Amino acid sequence: MNSNKADYNTTWQKFVRSHAIYAWLLIVPAALFLFIIVGWPLAETVRLSFTNAGLGGEKYIGWDNFEKLYNSRKYPGIVGRTFYWMFLSVSLKMILGTIGALLLNAKLKGRAAFRVMVMPPWIVPMAIGCIGWLWVYNGHFGILAGVLMHLGILDGPFEFLAYKTSAFYSTIVTDVWVGTPMVTIFFLAAMQGVSQDLYEAAYVDGASRWYRFRRITIPQIMPVIVSMALLSAIWTFNSFEIIWILTEGGPRGATTTMIIDTYKMAIANYKFGYGATRALMVVLFLTVFSLIYLFILGKVHQRFKVK
Amino acid sequence: MATVSLKSINKWFDTSQVLNDISLDIEDKEFVVFVGPSGCGKTTLLRIVAGLEEATTGEIEIDGIEVSSAHPIERGISMVFQSYALYPHLTVFENIAFPLRVAKMPKTELEEQVMRAAETLQLTDRLQHKPGQLSGGQRQRVAIGRSIVRQPKVFLFDEPLSNLDAALRGEMRVELAKLHKSLDATMIYVTHDQVEAMTLADRIVVISEGRLEQFGTPMELYHRPKTKFVAGFIGNPKMNFLKVPCLSSNSSGVTLKLPDIGEQLLPVEADTVEEGGNLEVGIRPEDFSLSDTDKGMPMKVEVVEHLGGSTMVYGSVADHLNFCALLPGDTEVSDDSVVKLEVNPASMHVFNSNGDAMRRREIPAMHR
Repeated sequence: MNSNKADYNTTWQKFVRSHAIYAWLLIVPAALFLFIIVGWPLAETVRLSFTNAGLGGEKYIGWDNFEKLYNSRKYPGIVGRTFYWMFLSVSLKMILGTIGALLLNAKLKGRAAFRVMVMPPWIVPMAIGCIGWLWVYNGHFGILAGVLMHLGILDGPFEFLAYKTSAFYSTIVTDVWVGTPMVTIFFLAAMQGVSQDLYEAAYVDGASRWYRFRRITIPQIMPVIVSMALLSAIWTFNSFEIIWILTEGGPRGATTTMIIDTYKMAIANYKFGYGATRALMVVLFLTVFSLIYLFILGKVHQRFKVK
Repeated sequence: MATVSLKSINKWFDTSQVLNDISLDIEDKEFVVFVGPSGCGKTTLLRIVAGLEEATTGEIEIDGIEVSSAHPIERGISMVFQSYALYPHLTVFENIAFPLRVAKMPKTELEEQVMRAAETLQLTDRLQHKPGQLSGGQRQRVAIGRSIVRQPKVFLFDEPLSNLDAALRGEMRVELAKLHKSLDATMIYVTHDQVEAMTLADRIVVISEGRLEQFGTPMELYHRPKTKFVAGFIGNPKMNFLKVPCLSSNSSGVTLKLPDIGEQLLPVEADTVEEGGNLEVGIRPEDFSLSDTDKGMPMKVEVVEHLGGSTMVYGSVADHLNFCALLPGDTEVSDDSVVKLEVNPASMHVFNSNGDAMRRREIPAMHR
């Protein structure tokens, strides 16, 4: 019995090891997993986008959904808003992240404590953070309106999330609040990786603080800035929870970005087919971003080659 | 160009003192080397001269002007770092041009200066490369290029050769010596390598545990070390030390009891010595010779190294281990044998129990 098993093992192992099938077998678990959580839903989305799937069943309707989307008068506005929202949010995250990292990199007593103190927005579950912000933006009880009224800037309660413009910028502020700590920490790590000798050499040569920042710090951390900017753009483009919790895309669509719009169409209005078409547009944009990201990253690594 | 003088420099880091009352005057166009074991404070001293650290107490003057808290630019110094500190994202040209860009020099003049430095350092065909594409020696030259374009009054070098391999180090040493001649500038150079110190320096500053042990020309340090530390640090291979009893001392020297040789008068200035106590005798390996007769110090040979031109013999004398003798190349000594070594009494060094040397009355002619 034992010897039989051993024989079996040897033949089987011999067969498997001698073929490429061995390599394939090894990646099967991961591949299966990826197929279930990525591959199949994606294929399903593509299939759905060619149907009029809804609560009452589905039927193949060819390119109708795409035509409808192309002719939609609202959709270009949504795309434009998404990009504007993303642009403002990412820019602010980058600028604040750089300033934050510079401050945290300063040689201060107790800087470790400061470093911990920037983390909460990132660590607190996003929903809880956003509910906190709902209170901040509340017109009657919120701290923001309260402070502004005390300062005499507002002469009465102001619901920040009730007006188109203020709601739009309020969601950006919250998104920046959530996204900045991570950018800060990444930039800080990059700054700490810059050799102190470079700064000392520049100091000896008479370079001012600003000059050293501009000609040493920035180029040295450029690869990190670029990757963070592009990754942050992708995440911000896809940011759903913050807007949904704060405004659900309102008022009157003022904060409806592509991802919110997709959700509203597919889940809230039960138009699964048409929603899938919109989801595909998101996939398309993100794919383009990713390609740009990879391309630029390659370039940057070439240009700012660090050793 | 410039003199540098340090006046009672003390430096504390929190509760530990790293420099203890260091005073020295460096003359114009002199090449001075700070040397000492790692952690002795030599780099801190250099950084204080550079203006990267401030002395806790004491003053620095460059060209007679007090600069203790002045910016490096006002001091007129430039510095070459141990790591070279080249900007990896800038080309060689921009690296060399960096100080000039900071000073906002007009473009044509700037290019001219950079080209001149590049020519001096044979970097003209490397100007568009990034530091990452250069060899260690080339990076070193770029770092030097960056320090010479600004035409400073004083050049500071912080262990500039320690990242190079032995062959390249020797080559760069010669280049640095040439550079010093052609620039005709005051240079201060930090190293832990006494060979670099001996070969490059006009004068050497030996530092140990934050104290200035001795400041003098290489030959002064070699022939008349003031302390046991300097005697052991300068010279390669290292000086051998023997603890021996002192029999008597008078105006012509001290009489000691050497192993097997017996009583021996050493011609040193020995007014302060107490009789009966122990003294230490220092003998450089190159001062030994093989005795033809039966007289001499018996050395039990452990290892023999034939270097061709010379032979190094390691072994023990009396109960002192790790003795080394440098003998002529044709010496035939076998392991585990006992050889008799002779030394000219005048070429021995004597140290008291504090480690201070007794001044030798004469410096014998080298026998090799």
